[in-house]
Amino acid sequence: MKWKAQTTFQIHGLNQEKTLNELAKIVTLEKVCRESKTDTIFECPYLKHKKVEKLLKSKGFQIVSMRHEGILWKLQKIATSYGLVLGVAVFFILQLVASQFVVQYEITGVDKQSQVEITSFVKKNFPNKKSAIDTKQIEISLMENFDSISFASCMIKGQTLLVNIKEKLLPNEIYGQFKPIVARSDAKISQINLVSGTLTVKVGDFVRMGDVLVEPFVVDSSGSIKKVEAKAEIMGEVYNLGESQHFSSRVEVSRTGKTIVQNSVLLFGLEIYTFKEENNFKLFETESEDINLIKNLPLPFKLKKTTFFELQEKTIESNFEDVKDEFIEKARQKALQNVENCDKIIEEFYTLRHQSNATFVDYCIVTKEPIGVFEGV
Amino acid sequence: MFNFLEEIKENLKDSAGLDSFNLINLSGKLLYVEGHLGLVTLSKEIISFKVKKAIVIVEGENLTLAELSNNTIKICGKIKKVEEI
Repeated sequence: MKWKAQTTFQIHGLNQEKTLNELAKIVTLEKVCRESKTDTIFECPYLKHKKVEKLLKSKGFQIVSMRHEGILWKLQKIATSYGLVLGVAVFFILQLVASQFVVQYEITGVDKQSQVEITSFVKKNFPNKKSAIDTKQIEISLMENFDSISFASCMIKGQTLLVNIKEKLLPNEIYGQFKPIVARSDAKISQINLVSGTLTVKVGDFVRMGDVLVEPFVVDSSGSIKKVEAKAEIMGEVYNLGESQHFSSRVEVSRTGKTIVQNSVLLFGLEIYTFKEENNFKLFETESEDINLIKNLPLPFKLKKTTFFELQEKTIESNFEDVKDEFIEKARQKALQNVENCDKIIEEFYTLRHQSNATFVDYCIVTKEPIGVFEGV
Repeated sequence: MFNFLEEIKENLKDSAGLDSFNLINLSGKLLYVEGHLGLVTLSKEIISFKVKKAIVIVEGENLTLAELSNNTIKICGKIKKVEEI
């Protein structure tokens, strides 16, 4: 086989000399042989055969045959014709190489321990080549280096190293937070559902907000104290109070509508000009405002405007019995404001207290709601 | 680079008009041409080509163009006659 890649053309047509001259301008022709008046065979470099072919076609020549030979042509043919096969072969070779290594780590069964921490430990301390990985050694190493791991099992699946971990379960004595359950509000205990801990109250007891309801320990048969998490559901009757006051006579103050205005011009807080009307109101209230006089000057001239409003007093007499229902409703609404998260309202009642000039309405709404609060959560 | 034809031309006292084309006949079997201006006739018996102000006709048997480039020609075969007209 020739080293040099050549293409042999056999062409058919007339006036070939002229076309050969044109071809010779773009490529060197070799072994030009006139077989007959209309047929010629010649060779040209393979890399330029497309140019030659294009020119021949443009001149109307019939290309009887076109044959390629040479190493370069063979290589190109292999690259094009067998490219797919070659690609598949390369893929399988790469796959074969890659399959020798672990590229992914899958950690399961961890709750308290970090997956990232375990993965980085395995990556750091063990090779990723499959044949060099000893899964037993990984299991032992994990259990030795992580206190929270009680059991570990490893296996290689494909290119993934699967690590299944069982974490140690903490005993009840050291589990949870040891805080007592305390009363959330003043109440009467109505129902107790104890899960763990020691009760300090019983049904019917009155407790104040902050009182301990369940202690975070138990006393066993031997008399020793064991810490446990205090868990219980404690319901209580909560007294939600609201109050309103009624006065039989009261003084109401209102503005008469008369006003006096006093103006002052200030600079840096100092009064440099003032205009004041005489204030002859016996009872009054004032309102004042500061206004910037000039916007563009750096000197802060301000106008202080003070308005005096004349007031008058009026004594209003009122009978409680006439407005009794209104004040009871006011007290009820205030009591309802204190009712939060109640399961249900059990009872409502009110009491009246009379003093010299006033009547007090105390309204009470009794609700049933959970009062035990575990502060640790 | 050494060029044999150029050396010969330089040795001549009067080398005017020697720069149009060169023909070298090797043993009557190979004719090398430099400076042709285009092929005129191509057959196994006659190959002719243009040179400056003339046409060169090569006659022989089984003539082929071993090489044809923009300005050179190599003719192979039994070369009987080379004529400039």
